[in-house]
Amino acid sequence: MNKTKKIIVILILLILLIMSLYLAMYAGYKDIGINMLCKAFNLGDDTESVILSVLRYPRALKAFIAGCCLALSGMFMQSVSKNPLAEPYITGISAGAGLGIVLSILFFNSANYSVFGFVGALLSSAIVIACSGFSKFSITKLILIGLSMNIFVSSLISLIILVNPMKSYMMMLILSGGVTNNEIISNKMLLILFLLALLVCSIFIPKLNYLRLDSDLIEANKSNKYLYTVVIIVLASFLTSLSVFAAGILGFVGIIAPQISRMLLGQDYRWLFVSNILIGSSLILFADYIARTIIYPLQVPLGLVVAFIGAPVFVYFLTRKGDMFRD
Amino acid sequence: MINIKDLSLTVDKLTIFNSANINIPKDKITVLVGPNGVGKTTLLKLISGVIKPQSGTIEKNCKELFYLPQRIKYPQGITLQEYIESSFYKQNWKWFLSKEEKQKVSEVLELLELMDKKETLIDNLSSGELQKANIALGLVSNADVLLLDEPTSNMDLINQIKVLDIIKKLTQKGVSSIIVLHDINLSSSYGDYFVGISKERKIITAEKKDFIKAEILNEIFGINFKVINSEEDFHIQIFN
Repeated sequence: MNKTKKIIVILILLILLIMSLYLAMYAGYKDIGINMLCKAFNLGDDTESVILSVLRYPRALKAFIAGCCLALSGMFMQSVSKNPLAEPYITGISAGAGLGIVLSILFFNSANYSVFGFVGALLSSAIVIACSGFSKFSITKLILIGLSMNIFVSSLISLIILVNPMKSYMMMLILSGGVTNNEIISNKMLLILFLLALLVCSIFIPKLNYLRLDSDLIEANKSNKYLYTVVIIVLASFLTSLSVFAAGILGFVGIIAPQISRMLLGQDYRWLFVSNILIGSSLILFADYIARTIIYPLQVPLGLVVAFIGAPVFVYFLTRKGDMFRD
Repeated sequence: MINIKDLSLTVDKLTIFNSANINIPKDKITVLVGPNGVGKTTLLKLISGVIKPQSGTIEKNCKELFYLPQRIKYPQGITLQEYIESSFYKQNWKWFLSKEEKQKVSEVLELLELMDKKETLIDNLSSGELQKANIALGLVSNADVLLLDEPTSNMDLINQIKVLDIIKKLTQKGVSSIIVLHDINLSSSYGDYFVGISKERKIITAEKKDFIKAEILNEIFGINFKVINSEEDFHIQIFN
């Protein structure tokens, strides 16, 4: 695929993101006029401004960050494991982050939840990877161990919530997934950590273009592969925990955004980086718009909407371009 | 250049190497010959460091190794050119390749006569072309030792000779090669040094003139050979 085609694909995805951003911020039960766009950064005291600054902007920010982080985390995990099914939700890393946060809510009321979330994500990914063979991933083993991890940790979270009814509300928010006002981390902090993660990602992106070669070939030709694997797993865990801070535990995005990107653009990670950010964030922003408007004033859980939108789109792409998976 | 001392390796209760000593010379083509399953690929993996020996040492006096495994998984959805360019993302952290690096890819593609396929997705290349693409990876890698496991097994005769000619020329530039080859006649025309492993796992190492002899080949393969020797050229016939 030549460069012009790739640029056109990226432009289309960018338009989709802008549309989703518009819907997320300016449409809803109270439609906010396009004229508010002009003073987007100079909000006053009127109702519309308050809705924007207190409700819509933070919510859109969280949705954007959750989508980006899940998609990028999925991309990183699929690249190191060379396995199209590797994804933060399926492999239990999201659940690990969730457990970390739940435990910190339970035992350390005022402590920093985010640290525990990150440690939880890191531990669960470390366990999954160590159990499935460190440098040589067995495709089926990784998924099966990840699945077991996911079920085990999710059940543990449910159990903790059940036996602690006093604190269950906040814990439920994490488990159910959704960009509501959970106060795990301040929006400002979330944004700073996200930008930091993006910076680190962009340093490692070109390396993925080398790591896409056969793993035996890489291992012999440079002994650094081990190091890269560790760094990339840590990075994927960090991204996953950010997504959990922003939107709780959400499945599916981490698998479909990287796959659709690959089907559209091939396996040049410099392009995939951009398209994953665009697809992941558009998907969550759009899903969240649907989630909060479709049966207003009730809200549909975000995970449900992601599945309803994501599954048909994903299957469409698979039937059109599924021959990429013929091995 | 590569000195293997007291190498032992047992896999699944099967002793593959039992205190083996092998010295591989510099700036030469060393050919590994022997029947299937005696440990030629394992030896290459040991030298490359993909697997570790249970005991013994492997001393490597070289800057960088390039190891081409026999079975390779290819990334999907990239062109031949992008496949070879992957190699350049190894050392540095930049997002874009320099002009010199792109130039080098073009030169190698030209050398291997793959220029007209450079925009083809690697999923659509033939097995022989894929093998040439892998040789191209080795050529752009700046390695001074190439470990090639049956690099020409899917190529037609002309391409086999072309690739081996290229490897031969590289030895003059200080690039040594260790190759597993099954065509004994091609081995005898391109190999400088030989490591033979017999079915009984006896290791015989020798220069070409001492190695291409009926009795040694008989011992390694367990069948009868006739070697027709005209000065430096050998022609080997099999009598079974």
